[in-house]
Parts: sequence; structure tokens; C-alpha cells
Amino acid sequence: MTEKTPNQITEDLLRPIFQTSWKFFAVVAFLGAFVVAAFAAYAYQVYTGIGVWGIRRPVFWAFDITNFVFWIGISHAGTLISAILRLANATWRRPVTRCAEVITAFALSIGAMFPIIHLGRPWLAFWLIPYGSERQIWPNFRSPLAWDFFAINTYLIGSVVFLTLPIIPDWALVRDKAEGWRRRVYTILALGWRGTPRQWARLESAMHIMAIAIIPVAVSVHTIVSWDFAMAPVPMWHSTIFGPYFVAGAIFSGIAGLIIAMALLRKFLHLEEYLQPVHFDNLGKLLLMMSLLWVYFVFAERLTAWYGNDPAEMVVVWATQRGPFAPLFWTMVVCNFLIPFPILAIKRLRTITGTVVASLAVVIGMWLERFLIIVPSLSHKYLPYSWGDYRPTWVEITIMSGTFAGMALLYVLFSKAVPIISVWELKVGKHGVGSRE
Amino acid sequence: MEPKPQKKWAMVVDLDRCTGCEACVVACHAENNIPTVGAKEAAIGRAMHWIRVERYYEGEFPDVRAKFRPVFCQQCDAAPCEPVCPTYASYHTSEGLNGQVYNRCIGTRYCANACPYNVRFFNFYNPVWEKPLHLQLNPDVSVREVGVMEKCTFCVQRIKAAEIDAQAEKRELKDGEIQPACAQTCAPRALVFGDLNDPASEVARLAKSNRATRLLEELGTQPKVIYLERESWHDGENS
Amino acid sequence: MVNAIYGLYATPDSAQQAVDALLGIGIKDRHIAVASSEPFENYDFTRREHRTRMPWLAVAGGLAGGAVAWALTSLTQKSYPLITGGMPVSPWWTNGIIIYELTMLGAILTSLAALLISARLPVWGAQVYDRAVSDGMILVGVVNPPQTSRIKISEALSSTGASYVRQSG
Repeated sequence: MTEKTPNQITEDLLRPIFQTSWKFFAVVAFLGAFVVAAFAAYAYQVYTGIGVWGIRRPVFWAFDITNFVFWIGISHAGTLISAILRLANATWRRPVTRCAEVITAFALSIGAMFPIIHLGRPWLAFWLIPYGSERQIWPNFRSPLAWDFFAINTYLIGSVVFLTLPIIPDWALVRDKAEGWRRRVYTILALGWRGTPRQWARLESAMHIMAIAIIPVAVSVHTIVSWDFAMAPVPMWHSTIFGPYFVAGAIFSGIAGLIIAMALLRKFLHLEEYLQPVHFDNLGKLLLMMSLLWVYFVFAERLTAWYGNDPAEMVVVWATQRGPFAPLFWTMVVCNFLIPFPILAIKRLRTITGTVVASLAVVIGMWLERFLIIVPSLSHKYLPYSWGDYRPTWVEITIMSGTFAGMALLYVLFSKAVPIISVWELKVGKHGVGSRE
Repeated sequence: MEPKPQKKWAMVVDLDRCTGCEACVVACHAENNIPTVGAKEAAIGRAMHWIRVERYYEGEFPDVRAKFRPVFCQQCDAAPCEPVCPTYASYHTSEGLNGQVYNRCIGTRYCANACPYNVRFFNFYNPVWEKPLHLQLNPDVSVREVGVMEKCTFCVQRIKAAEIDAQAEKRELKDGEIQPACAQTCAPRALVFGDLNDPASEVARLAKSNRATRLLEELGTQPKVIYLERESWHDGENS
Repeated sequence: MVNAIYGLYATPDSAQQAVDALLGIGIKDRHIAVASSEPFENYDFTRREHRTRMPWLAVAGGLAGGAVAWALTSLTQKSYPLITGGMPVSPWWTNGIIIYELTMLGAILTSLAALLISARLPVWGAQVYDRAVSDGMILVGVVNPPQTSRIKISEALSSTGASYVRQSG
């Protein structure tokens, strides 16, 4: 691989912004179709009633909250990679940070829609906002859903700030290279950035503070999401392990999502020289570690339940391991551990293709894990007379596929407007000049 | 004279009297404008019976017995459904009831998941009463729209009406004056409603019986429905 | 067009020499303008701007956020006491979670505001800048140079290896 000059780097990384082929429009149209279908399905649901979903008594949450927890989990990629690696001064992070931060911002936006999507009366969702109302409407701060509101908003604002601040110098770069309407748009976006020493120093201070602040926020967000379950007296929900378990699972699925996104970008934007096998190798090692951590948590939780032999909990344990949910459960184990472990542990297999295969398996496995936490427990609560089951309907499936397509679409549009690899940070890295961030 | 203590409404269900006739279910539907969801919806588990009679079989043939347990909102003093509602639609009233405020409900369904007794019901669609069935609606009770959670209220409309009457007539409420629809209809008089804080009331007397148990007491929900049964369901050998 | 004289330098070392030369002929620090496409932290010409109170501002913002959250939860709960689940009307356990989140949000928003204000972003008016900065050149110059010094400044900039020197205004 030849060493690139700074100007070559600029040209390579800005090319997706300045050059658009017909394939871009084809991809946008394809993904857009799924997104439009999801919106239509949702409009149908709001008009007709939540009965068009498959939820029923006693399984009042299913796909909706599975997707909510799944997307919030995916959003933990950016924080870990970007913030922790920034603080640890790991230089290999430089091409990866923006990809990761973008995943966080978009996955979080999608995940944050689900608390509204799943409402029976979504037009009243604003009642979660504490505003002075003459009708004495006020949120109940003891409810984990109120905690969700504050946590997710804090994390969303924080990660958007964390994402956008280091983009400003790159927008200045695009402004300087562009002509015509592009120049006008990016002049506004760049906020008049010049790169004076004062601006750089303040930016780096802000980034440093943000990196320190965003990590505890991310940990708290998924902990609070897990407490949506742990605070209710439902068998296998009311467990003290849920906070750390969910955070570990989120980071696990987040890294997998990041690897997939990076592989796609590498292929479609021709970034082979920038997203190199070493990046996938390093992320693959992290993914391996998270897979082992996931196994540890699942084993610890299930061992405690099995050993304790509480009748209500054992029903749920057997329902997932031997009963009607067994196919999904064992698929999850295969996807989260049996497939990724050999691929990621054996160096020869830990190639770009290998890590992508492992990551796809993990994404599927982690979605199943969320589903298997919610539905088997709700199906088998304390009174056997009221046990039930669940089947999804086309509305839920359409909305779910719309979110996956929407995520991809947002990513495609973002990489068209913003350099997906941070140009100035990459150039700093090439000099080998130590950076305070 | 000392002021009377705050009311604490409770219900006593005598399982040795319950015949499983389910007249209480019908009465509850009639009194509280509960919709019938239709066969298709009921088949997937969306039927809305604020009071239901759970039927269990005990023993082997020829010593089989059917046992009936009416289950409805236990009006728990430490209700798990109350703190989880983000809009205070589920809260504890000063008279010990678990209040469900339909207008505040935005339909997160968290309360239904948290309830260990599965006594909360969700309006998956807008309820429809084809004419002339709309004439059967009780004007004292609201009709809930789609997306709202509902459950047994101990016929709070009857409680309030009786309290207003008593206050207007400047007298105390008499024990047995308030009859929720289910208690009113129960032929074997298995359901008894009253004020637990009134030592002279029938529920207070029955609550002290040595047949008294509570459902899922070990969960710490402090339910206010007291079940009377001559023996535990788990040792069915001796009758 | 801004009244300025500036030179463009290809390496940070030559830019440092230029700044030193300007200081040598008596130009004040605050009249010297520098613009670059990278931070160049280890060089003196950037170092003078490194002291900042931003972390303390972030802490202050966090405390403010926490106080707001405490008021929002405790005071409203106590003024409209509603019992749920047998819990106290204003539990520290649950209020603490909201206080924590708004503390972090306060720190984040304060840092953002501090950045925008102290870096003077956004700025729309004309400034000393050259598109060549995005090609990796470092701009070093003087804003509003006094008429008497213009020749000296040009010489100082040229002698330290500028790719070219521009006068404007």
C-alpha cells in the first residue's frame, strides 16, 4: 500500500461528496421504499388501533420493545469505540470514530421512536415531557419510562454533539474545495471555521470533556432501559443483573453493527486503503471479548435461576431452553457464541470477511436475545390460567424492516453529505503528532 | 367523638361458596360498559373480563373436583402497577383503591406487564356497540377509547354515589350499603364488599377467619382481596 | 475584504519561524492571525491558546443541571403528593436517576456553549483566510497592520519561507 499524501487523502475522502453515480439513487430508492412502507403501516396502526399488532394479554410488549432495546443497544458502538479509544489515545481509532459516532446518532434516533410507536395513544406522547399543564398532567418520575425519557434525550443530545463537533473542520474543508451551490451550503454548515489556534484548542477541549461525559451517560442509558424490565415483578425480569447484562449486550451488538457498517462503506466508497484489515482485526478482538462476556452473563443468570429452583422462574427457564422458545434460544446461542467464537479466536479466520460473518450472526443473535427476554417471561407469569403466547403480524414486521432500511438509508445520505472518515484527524494521525484528545 | 378512620375498601371471596356460575362476569360487563371483543379477538387472548373465574381441576378420576377462583383487581397496597405508569394514570387513592384514570393513560402497557395477577385489560381497538346495544351502556361509567388500559375499580362509581348520598343526608355509610355489581349478583353470596377499617363490617370479620388467604401474597403486593378456603389447594387428599 | 498581510507556509516549522519573526519586529501577539487545517499542538504558535476554563464550566453546568433536576422532581412531587405502589412521595432512589441524567446534560450543553462562545462560532463576516489552508498550507499573517510596518511585515513573512505573501485591503 502506498503512503498517501494529504491531498490524496482529501481527494479520496471527499470523493463520495462530489461524485454521485446512478447507484446512489438506486440504493436510496430501494431503501426508501421500505421506509415508506413502514410509515404507511404505522399510519394504518394509528388509525385502526394497536390491535393490528400481534400483542395480546398477557404479552403486552413484543416486537415493539424488542426493537427499542435492540436499536438502543446498537447505538452503544460509537461511544465505546470513539470515546474510550480517544481517552486511551489508541491511534488505530482514527478512521473508525466517525463511522461509529454516526451509528450511535442514527440508531439512537430510531430506537427513540419506539417508545412513541408502541403507545396505545401516541398523539399524547408529549405528556412525558414535564411541562406546566393546567390539566395537571405531569410525568411520574418513579417510572422507568420517565427515566428513559431523560436518559435517552441526554444521550441523544450528547452523541449528536459528540458527532457534530469534529465534523466542523471537515465541513470547512469541503467548503474550500466546493463550488457553486455546494460552496454556499457548506459555508453555512462550517460556521465560519478557519482553524485558528484558539478554535482548535477549544474544539479539542470540548471533545475531551465530551468523551469523558458521554461514557457514563451511555452506561446509564442502557441500564435504565434494562430497568424497564427489572423493576417489574415478572419471573426472570426482576433480576439485579439486568443493568450490567444489558450494557455488555449493547456494546456487543454495537461493535457487530459497526463492523458491518465499516465493511459496507469500505466496499461501496472504495475506502480499502483507509479501513484496513488491522481495523477489522482489532474490532474483531473486541467482539470476541464481548462474546465471552455475554456468555458469562447469560450463564450466571441462568445458573442462579436454575439452582434457586423458584417455580415461576423455572417455567420460563424451561420454556426458553426446552419448550416452545427453544429453537429461537439455541439459534441465539449459535449466533452469539458458537459462530463468532471460532472465527474471531483463530487469527487466520479473523479477516474482514470473517469478522463480517461473525458480526451478522451477532446482530441476529442479539435481536433474538432481546425477544427472548421479553416474550417468554410475559407469556408465563405467576398465574398459569393467564399464560399466553405471541405471534407477530405483518404490521410489526413491516415497521421493523423499515427501521433497518431507515438506518441504512440515513447512513447512505450521511456519507453523501459528510466525509465518513474524519479527514483532519486522519491527517493528524499520519504525522504521528501526539494529540491531547 | 373521634373521627372515623379513612376507608379501606376490600373484598372477601369465599371459595367454598363459589359455584363457578360466572354471573359476576356478566354483571361486571353490564355495569362497567366493558366491550365484548368478538370471537376472533377472544381466541387470541384479548377478551376483557375485569372479573374472571379461573377454573382448575384437582385430583384424579373418580375423585376429580373443579375449583373456581374469581380473580379481579386486588387493589394492592403496594401495587407494582402504580409506580411504573409514566403519567400517573395508575395511582393509589386515599380510600385504598388502585385508581385507573382513563384520561391520563397513553397506553404504554407497562402496568399490565407489571401486574402479577394479569387483571389489567387493554383496548386494542375502539369498542363498538351496534345499535340498539348502545342503549345498554351505563351512563355512570365512561366508555374507554382505543389505547387505554382498564381494570376492575370495585365499582368506584357506586362507591362515590353512595358516599355522596350519605354526605347529603348527613349520615355515615352503612356496612353493606355499597354493592359492586359482582357482589350484588352473586347468588351464593361468595363475594362480600366492605370497609376493612371498620371493625364492625362483615369484611373485617371475615378477614380474621382462619380460612383467610391472599393470592400471591409472597410477592409483597399486599392485596386487599381476601380468599376464604377451607383447605389449601395444594393438599387435596383430605376433603 | 479584510485589511491584512499574510503568508502561506508548507510546514509547521516554517510557520513557527514566521510567527517568531513577526514577534521579533514588534507585532503584538493578538494581532497575529494563524489558520491551519490541523491542530499542530506541539508548536508554540498554537500553544498560547491552550489554557481554558472549559472543564470548570462543564462542572458548573453539571451542578446547575443537577439542581434543576432536583427541583423538578422533589418540589413538584411534594406539591402534588400522589401515592404509587406504597413508595414514598419523593424517593431519593428514583429522583437520583433523573438528577444524574440532567447533571450530565448540563455538563454537555455547557461545554457546547463554551466552545461556541469562546471559539466565536458561528462567524459570518469577512476574516483573514485562504482556501489554500485546506490544501495543508498554514496561514500566518497580521490583521490591520499599521501603514508604517507593512514593508517590514512583508519582509518578515517572505524571509521565513512563505510560498507566497498576499496583501489585501
